[in-house]
Amino acid sequence: MDTTFKGEHLFPGQLGQFFIILSFGSALLAAISYYFATTDKTGLSNSWRRLGRIAYMTNLASVVGIGCSLFYIIFNHLFEYHYAWEHSSRSLPVYYIISSYWEGQEGSFWLWCFWQGVLGNILIWKAKSWESPVMTVISLSQALLASMLLGIEIFGTRIGSSPFILLREAIDLRAQAPIFASRPDLYHNYLSYITDGNGLNPLLQNYWMVIHPPTLFLGFASMVVPFAYAIAGLWQKRYKEWVQPAISYALFAVMVLGTGVIMGSFWAYESLNFGGFWAWDPVENAALIPWLTLIGGVHVMIVYKNTGHSYFTATFLVLVSFVLVLYASFLTRSGVLGDTSVHAFTDLGMFWHLVVDVAVFFVLALVLVIIRWKELPIDKKEEETYSREFWMFVGSVFLALSCLQLTVVTSIPVWNKMFGTNIAPPNNPVTLYNVFQAAFAVVVALLAGVTQFLKYKKTDTGKFYITGAVYLLLAVLITALVVYVSGIYRLRIVFSLAMLAAIYMVLSNIKVLTDAFKGKIKLAGSAVAHIGFGLILVGAVIAAGTSKVVSINNTGEQYSAEFAKRNDPKENIMLYKNTPVKMGDYMVTYEGDSIAMPNHYFKVDYKRLDANGKVTEEFVLKPNSQANRKMGLVSSPDTKHYLLHDLYTHVTMAPIKFDDDPQDNDGHSEADDDKNYDAPISHDIAIGDTIRYREGYIVLEGLDKNARVQNIQLAKNDIAVGAQLKVVSNGRSFTAEPVYMIKSGDVFDFSRKVDDAGLKLRFTKISPKEGKMTIMVYQQPENRRPYIVMKAIEFPYINFFWSGTIIMVIGFVLSIRRRNKELKTVAPAPKANKVSKRPSPLQAH
Amino acid sequence: MKKSSIIGLVVIAIAIAVIIGLYSNASSYGSFADAKKTSGELHVIGYLDKQKELYYDAAKDANYFSFYMKDKKGEECKVVFPGTKPQDFERSEQIVLVGEMVNGEFHASHIQMKCPSKYTQDKVEFTEASAKKADI
Repeated sequence: MDTTFKGEHLFPGQLGQFFIILSFGSALLAAISYYFATTDKTGLSNSWRRLGRIAYMTNLASVVGIGCSLFYIIFNHLFEYHYAWEHSSRSLPVYYIISSYWEGQEGSFWLWCFWQGVLGNILIWKAKSWESPVMTVISLSQALLASMLLGIEIFGTRIGSSPFILLREAIDLRAQAPIFASRPDLYHNYLSYITDGNGLNPLLQNYWMVIHPPTLFLGFASMVVPFAYAIAGLWQKRYKEWVQPAISYALFAVMVLGTGVIMGSFWAYESLNFGGFWAWDPVENAALIPWLTLIGGVHVMIVYKNTGHSYFTATFLVLVSFVLVLYASFLTRSGVLGDTSVHAFTDLGMFWHLVVDVAVFFVLALVLVIIRWKELPIDKKEEETYSREFWMFVGSVFLALSCLQLTVVTSIPVWNKMFGTNIAPPNNPVTLYNVFQAAFAVVVALLAGVTQFLKYKKTDTGKFYITGAVYLLLAVLITALVVYVSGIYRLRIVFSLAMLAAIYMVLSNIKVLTDAFKGKIKLAGSAVAHIGFGLILVGAVIAAGTSKVVSINNTGEQYSAEFAKRNDPKENIMLYKNTPVKMGDYMVTYEGDSIAMPNHYFKVDYKRLDANGKVTEEFVLKPNSQANRKMGLVSSPDTKHYLLHDLYTHVTMAPIKFDDDPQDNDGHSEADDDKNYDAPISHDIAIGDTIRYREGYIVLEGLDKNARVQNIQLAKNDIAVGAQLKVVSNGRSFTAEPVYMIKSGDVFDFSRKVDDAGLKLRFTKISPKEGKMTIMVYQQPENRRPYIVMKAIEFPYINFFWSGTIIMVIGFVLSIRRRNKELKTVAPAPKANKVSKRPSPLQAH
Repeated sequence: MKKSSIIGLVVIAIAIAVIIGLYSNASSYGSFADAKKTSGELHVIGYLDKQKELYYDAAKDANYFSFYMKDKKGEECKVVFPGTKPQDFERSEQIVLVGEMVNGEFHASHIQMKCPSKYTQDKVEFTEASAKKADI
């Protein structure tokens, strides 16, 4: 560095960068040490393991060090660092500094590293005989993650992207600011010109964004644990043993990842304006896919533990789940999604780095499976048709197939890149996904219901058919009612079937739960989780399928015949301030604004009227917009929550000012101001008379002989009279007192405005003989009046979706406790059945 | 036939159905010229013509928005969208439309725009004020 720059704080960045290198080095050392601890035959394995432990603990410490350095930089607004400049600003409240951490890719990689570090330390403590091989895999994964943060150049290519890069290194400031071209001597003092950072995207300034990313990344990070166990099992030829300890970790991973995904969905529902809780966006799919495959994986792991069947499927699904997690991070971070997703991260030039990350673990898994193929404990004997394991296996296969559809469609940009094609995503991706995924859900949910009546190994068929049929009949009856009431029958048949399957799943698991309370308490966990999942399906099908736009508005001008003919839903309704409009069952009024920078809230009053026009319910919703100079206009909805449905409202268009514009500026001349109004109409009226105008009426209630006008002293012969006017506009009343004045022989008048009624009133003349007063009424033309354009959607029964999630998580917690208890009581090796070395074609697929 | 073979066949059948499903539903990217030739919806990528009028008047119709877009081949066409003007539309750099051509007007059913927000551009704001001098 040849210049010194004034005001830079280089130490925290250098410290952070040191920790990054340390974390990469220590993770690599841990991987190597644990590798030798696993393979060493010379008696040194204990020493290697000790070294591995020290290295991994050092790794966690240095990851924490990175986090602290970054926090210090953002907290102290050190904008000489690109990350702080790009993702924060001085006005950012302290609690959102956390969110600005993971707005960028580097911060979210750090979060992932942190969780993986914590999980690794838990495994060091808990994994016992599995420690060395499992930690080899986890340390390798940790080293690859840390390499994403390196940001150092090797052979001319930059490896990773460091959060500690300086602003002047990331951006050519001299090229951007002409002042440095003309006065290069000022460049060393560049920091004094940078007074604030870019700030955090307003959409991320939301409490859900403080907790959603950590949960999601804990979910992603914990997917590595079952993967590591599966690899360790293959590597150490402990084919049967790995399943049992891995089940708890796999359950934990799906629980946390599932929670994280739904939290994201809730955040989208509460603060994004696409009007829903799930959009099948590639970013959402990327997180959902590994979740579904590992859900399948958990089920076949349990099958294997109980019966010795489905070994290969269990291994396959566990391995593929983690590879899909890495693939998800490739999709969302490499920029490959390009035009197809609105909210993917930008390309940091790490395309190949991310590809390598996926490839390393994919090849590792593939090679190990191929090498060990002949030895795998694959059961030759077929499962009984009337056995739980067979149908659980089938269900898991279908879950995996649903992921195949999601992956194939989401990856369209990848196919384009690989094969040089130019396919566009489906025109109507949401419908396509809904139909396909509902079809898979029918099969999966039916099986999750049916298998509850089957036993492992062999079931008494007579009894199975009777109970199964009784519950099916019950489910059909309930479904018929639900489908009729909610109107699902008007949709494609597949949604009604999905509803039937989901209700069947809930019912049969309620039966298991009641049995559980009678004594088989260990079954409670899975029953509760299944009930939760069933309710999620019920909620999703009704809410997504029958949500309806309340603000349908066909009153528009219909510019051309073709445009009018098209039956696109006209979903936006325009509201002038204080003019009620009927919308569905409601009378809605845009009543005004309240501004709490940077949010501009629009107060929208809702009245529900009964047949006689009586108000039965009234509430105010406050959707908001932010007009931010840097990020543009961002709108967030507001939602009225009922027990059985939600009413969701968001503003799609409003003439609001940018947050840094001066608000209203006075000092306009009167003539200028008049331009904002239609030509005035004069009325000569007496006290008690009424003037009618477009939206109501005005009554002259009296005269105020002692009217005062600010700052004007009246002399003895001067006169000031105020006209006491009552203005009633759309049922609301206001008062106004325009003043007529004679001062030193000259006539003046002082107008008064009633902004909420869009009026300006002048008192211009008194005719004492007739006893009449002249009042001039200025009315704002319609299009000058404040207005909003908004959209309102009703989501029925969406609470099933959210409450199902909570119930499912409770079920997972119960299941994890049960599996952990089993680990302690049962001998580590499962009693597998007769095992053959020859793979059956069934499991080979 | 063995149960396992049946399952295997079902799996393969579904996998094929999924892929066919993709191809029959996948759309294609094209230009306005392509849109004139085809019936049915198409993706068109292009740029907003900022010289011409963006028309949206909520008072007349809250669900009519029209503008002019140049596709990647440079052909310009009037686009009509049944909705509000998307927030910040003027600032868009690139637009992806989904829709079809009707009588020389492109009727978009979906607009996706890319803005030169902070995500895509590193633009430093220099304030020429007497900035607070950070203390070393």
